[in-house]
Amino acid sequence: MLSNEDWVVDSNLSIDVSFVKNILNCFDESALEMTLKLSDYVKGLNIPINLTALTIGDKKLDTYLKTLYALRFDKALRINNNEDIRFLPQIVAHVISQYVKEINKQDVIILGRQSGEGDNGKTPLLVAEILKWPCITQVINIEADKEDTLKVTNMVDGGILTQIIRTPCVLSVGNAPNSYMRVPTLRDKMKYGKREIDVLEIDEFNIKALLDTCRNECELKSLEKISHERQGVIIEGKTPAEKARILYDSYLKERLEKL
Amino acid sequence: MPLTREQVVEGLVKILGVEKVITDEQVLKESSIDRFRKYEDICGVYTQPIPAAVVNVESTEEVSVVLKFANENIINVVPRTGHSATEGGLETAVENSIVVDGSGMNRLIKIDTYNMQATAECGVSLEELENKLRKQGYTTGHSPQSKPLAQMGGLVATRSIGQLSTLYGGIEDMVVGIEAVFPNGQISRIKNVPRRAAGPDIRHIIIGNEGALCYITEVTVKIFKYMPENNLFYGYTLENMKTGFEILREVMVEGYKPSVARLYDPEDGAYHFSHFADDKCVLIFVAEGPKAIAEATGRAIEEIVGKYDECKRVDSQLIKRWFDNLNWDPAKVAEERVEIAETQNIGFTTEVSGNWDIINDIYEVCIERIRNEIPDITLIGGHSSHSYINGTNMYFVYYYNLVDITPEEEITKYHYPIQDIIVEETLKAGGSMCHHHGVGKHRTHFIKEEYGSSYHILETLKKAFDPRGIMNMGTILPIKR
Repeated sequence: MLSNEDWVVDSNLSIDVSFVKNILNCFDESALEMTLKLSDYVKGLNIPINLTALTIGDKKLDTYLKTLYALRFDKALRINNNEDIRFLPQIVAHVISQYVKEINKQDVIILGRQSGEGDNGKTPLLVAEILKWPCITQVINIEADKEDTLKVTNMVDGGILTQIIRTPCVLSVGNAPNSYMRVPTLRDKMKYGKREIDVLEIDEFNIKALLDTCRNECELKSLEKISHERQGVIIEGKTPAEKARILYDSYLKERLEKL
Repeated sequence: MPLTREQVVEGLVKILGVEKVITDEQVLKESSIDRFRKYEDICGVYTQPIPAAVVNVESTEEVSVVLKFANENIINVVPRTGHSATEGGLETAVENSIVVDGSGMNRLIKIDTYNMQATAECGVSLEELENKLRKQGYTTGHSPQSKPLAQMGGLVATRSIGQLSTLYGGIEDMVVGIEAVFPNGQISRIKNVPRRAAGPDIRHIIIGNEGALCYITEVTVKIFKYMPENNLFYGYTLENMKTGFEILREVMVEGYKPSVARLYDPEDGAYHFSHFADDKCVLIFVAEGPKAIAEATGRAIEEIVGKYDECKRVDSQLIKRWFDNLNWDPAKVAEERVEIAETQNIGFTTEVSGNWDIINDIYEVCIERIRNEIPDITLIGGHSSHSYINGTNMYFVYYYNLVDITPEEEITKYHYPIQDIIVEETLKAGGSMCHHHGVGKHRTHFIKEEYGSSYHILETLKKAFDPRGIMNMGTILPIKR
């Protein structure tokens, strides 16, 4: 966790996070574990499945891709990028969809709903729009169904919906009940995790014109930390009964009456 | 004729009153274990005999009458304060035990800044004591990873050590005086003086007794000036543990006292330092104390490490930030439970010590054997975190996936075999099987080998102070069945 004193915005409107350990964001981690569970199930039925992991960023991310190799992903790819695209989900979506259209065709694209850095929450929807595929948001579970369908559970306003979705589709993983990914064994790390990561350059995806357009449309002016402080009150009273009375009268009564 | 469970509870209620005698089933189940059996706890499967009661004592006199009652009726007593033990020391290995919880004895009796000592009841949390001291410009110098959880009685009972030990020492170097209750109800106080040569140092009968001889009710520890503004942080990456051990040795042998002197291997290091030390060992020092001493220590560290080309210095802020987030608080424990339940991946540690000439061999052989012999291992690594003029410790860290087991098989399939490799290899090399967690209940089968010809001293202590065998049976010494 970045401490308050390290949350410093530099002249490039960047925050130096090099002092803290990187981790997968919780949505991506859920998405990866769901993918692995789906793969386990499908493999159990002797149906071939091919898993590709794709990330955009610098070499530091290779450690996560190596872990995915150890967890038996078939391909791990990093699209090398040094541009600041934190707040440009259009670029991320363009790269992902172009990769799927032109380089490595996929039946399903599973993404975390938002990254920790940009918090845009748009990439899965934009990918679906570019590919003209359906997109299910707030996905909390994915199960195999038939050869070209999946049983997808997602959160909707006021409830949980389970539906059969025809592939190809984009699934945006939200607040899933499980947010941890399994851990590969040392033996699998040695056996599978040493494979070289495939690297493509972001320039190969013709982003220049789109980057200029996006930057003209949206310019980062400032960054401010959102405070999530909570306030606590210690109720004073001579007896537990007196404290309970104050709690009820001052804090609960009005709320309960509104129910 | 042993008392029935009901008679034990009835007797305790007569002594303490009904409010201090807890018989809630879930509380009793959770009180039958400590963090050694955290997987069983997460699964809600409790395999140890469930205690008859947990009693919340609030004074030394109450401890005395409870122990006397237990002694007269031969009932096993498990002393407890912060409940953060990791080696089974808090397991109730005998039917109808009484868990005597001293966390309610939480009065901070005195902070004496003239004589530089602080006196606290056994249930005072170290973090609370430390925070109060720091507000006044002082520190205990004791900073174990369990600081947010552990309490003074348990820390002394387990011979705890903190991250700043190279400067301040272990708890045994900090304890000045102590009060403890023995099974016959005898309350013994050892006074607070700078030193004495009036026979053996009897504090050491109590420090580290793990509740197997007596119940610690009050401790007085030294305090020190707190000067964090002078702290200097040093971090280096390097290729080999052997080089790291050589550097640690040189710093110690040359007479320097950094508060922190730690060496991580790449596997353990990856868990903490992957953002700057991929596949490297990491060497860390903190120099503290009065400005001139901290600076002199810092200069010496730079000079000594500077002689080794393979060491590359990293930004001090990386080390400071890591150090700020090292401790285990209740939130981290709760988070760990969720992570274990979801991933079915669990981690433990085993800590040993050895002289400089054997420590690297112990490290290498243990890592090699565990990698090759244990199934489903996901991480095996370690670090040295407490160094001395003649040697250092090795803190092995291991994680494994839980595959095809029932909750109770976790220990027999994975934890015991790993721990036994580490202990066997350490004893074979001439080291000690426990550096700072205590023996608990799961290394007792090695205790005779650990002590060698001095074992009779330990056995005699147990017979002398606990002749009826009621104090935390199965801890330090195995239960004779």
